[in-house]
Amino acid sequence: MQVWTKLFAKSPFKPLIKHAEVVLDTVETLERALELWYDKKYDEMEKVAIEVDNLEDIADRIKEEIRDSLTTKLFMPVNRNDILEYLHMQDKIADAAEDTAKWLLIKRPKEIPEEIKEIILKMGKESIKAAKLVHKAIVQMDTVIESGFSEKEIEKEYELIKEIESVENKIDGLDTKLMKLVFENEDKLSWGDGFYILNIARTLSNISDKAKDSAERIRLMMNK
Amino acid sequence: MAWAIGANDAANSMSTAVGAGAITPKQAVIIAGILEFTGAYFFGKSVTETIRKGIIDLSQITEPTVLIYGSIAALLAAALWLLIATKFGLPVSTTHSIIGGIVGYGIVYAGLGIVNWGKMAQVVASWILSPVFGAIMAFVVFKAISKTILQSSTPVKSAKTHSPIWIGLAFVVIGAMFYIKVMHGKSLLTAIVKFGIPAGFVAFIISFVVLRRNFKSDDPYIGVEMIFKKVQVLTSAYVALSHGANDVANAIGPVAAVYAVATMGLAGMKVPVPRWILAMGGLGIAVGVATYGYRVMETVGKKITELTNTRGFSIDFSAATVVLIASWLGLPISTTHTVVGAVIGVGLARGVKAINKDIVKDIIISWFVTVPIAAIVSGIIFKILMVM
Repeated sequence: MQVWTKLFAKSPFKPLIKHAEVVLDTVETLERALELWYDKKYDEMEKVAIEVDNLEDIADRIKEEIRDSLTTKLFMPVNRNDILEYLHMQDKIADAAEDTAKWLLIKRPKEIPEEIKEIILKMGKESIKAAKLVHKAIVQMDTVIESGFSEKEIEKEYELIKEIESVENKIDGLDTKLMKLVFENEDKLSWGDGFYILNIARTLSNISDKAKDSAERIRLMMNK
Repeated sequence: MAWAIGANDAANSMSTAVGAGAITPKQAVIIAGILEFTGAYFFGKSVTETIRKGIIDLSQITEPTVLIYGSIAALLAAALWLLIATKFGLPVSTTHSIIGGIVGYGIVYAGLGIVNWGKMAQVVASWILSPVFGAIMAFVVFKAISKTILQSSTPVKSAKTHSPIWIGLAFVVIGAMFYIKVMHGKSLLTAIVKFGIPAGFVAFIISFVVLRRNFKSDDPYIGVEMIFKKVQVLTSAYVALSHGANDVANAIGPVAAVYAVATMGLAGMKVPVPRWILAMGGLGIAVGVATYGYRVMETVGKKITELTNTRGFSIDFSAATVVLIASWLGLPISTTHTVVGAVIGVGLARGVKAINKDIVKDIIISWFVTVPIAAIVSGIIFKILMVM
């Protein structure tokens, strides 16, 4: 009887995990771009930065598909709005990575103090950590549902959320340090390079900010 | 009619098992075919009589030909409606259809007074109650399974000790119903003490030993699902059995009425349903499963991928228990309703990841329109037959 095939709607969790994978890919590609940028291999860096843009497009497409399938017709174990908000935040992670890539493409800087470049590279590395944790958290959310909202699995999820928050904290610290350094070095930097670096820092810290927002939404999903 | 039931409804009994990947569609067809027949032949008696005599007052039908034509009209109307509904993918109940058909010709012949409205109300109430009970039962069963097994600190170990209890419980119900249906016992207490508990105990011991001997998996949840995968084959079989017991009445109730007229020459007398009619109904269902059910189950198996084995077990176990209890009470209830109720129950327990609300709405609407439509069609066919 056809009713059985129609009664069970497609769960949004597998596509959400897929989306998280693409987001992680985007951030990882950005990190590669940052490394090339650090090594002043600008031609190669440009190619990789364009790749970031392409991945962000793919994430967008998956996002649209999930949105279209998440109609009010669905009856789910978690709140629909929480899922939509989560998806929005998760997608913003890829958006922030793309923004950073754009800034990288905008100009080739002159000499940037080594210290500053190192912090930027570090922020990129930490961003990957945040994106990885978000992916882990949404996979764990699937397990939470699978286990019938077991206390033990919910506990594991809370730990992941806390980890994301601590990564975000760390990046925030790096961000402040970087801003200070830019102004301490204002004699060595041109106006344009300073503006360029500060924007890269801002977009980079956005990645972990949005990761934190995603984690926040997952927390809400668990207390429907 | 029996064929239509087999083709349509019988797939329900195995659908959750196929959907959860416990068995292949081919295996499902074989198991369902055999068990639907067994259920119809051995368990089908009292419900058959309820539908045949209960819904309309047969003493008001004085001419034997009316009963014969009426029964044919009812059967044709129900089968026709079922066919149309299937074509459009509408989930209608065979029980509704045949009751509608009987009521239809009854009203055309003798007016509204012929319908036993008390009985009708009881039947309608059971339609509302069966999904509700299915939902409550499945909610409780799934919650209990997740509390005892999935949420325990050692899911695999808990599954080893707790799933035999569930298997045992399933067999307690099967055993008890076996006594009431096959042996025509009256006392529920005897049924449970003498048949249910021993059957449950044996099932418990066997499953306990088997699970101790071989169970291997690293991921606890996969391990738990593996256990329930095997249990689900049993619960699906159980649903098929109870489905046969209940729904054979839809096909052969009117046939039995015709038979009573043909052999005794009068209507409304209390005659037992002959075994061979039950066998015929059972065979019809089995053939329906084999010829058409296969295709249905194959689609089901491919499309329901969101259902896991613990959920499938909860749905099956609850639906089967509710259906068999209703069958013991002599209420003609629909397997479809109960299973739909059970699915929603597991959904409410936050077990199923996504249920299509629109389809639930469609199902509920179809529950309400089936009786009037079958009644009208049956009435028209009856009028035509009487004119001819």
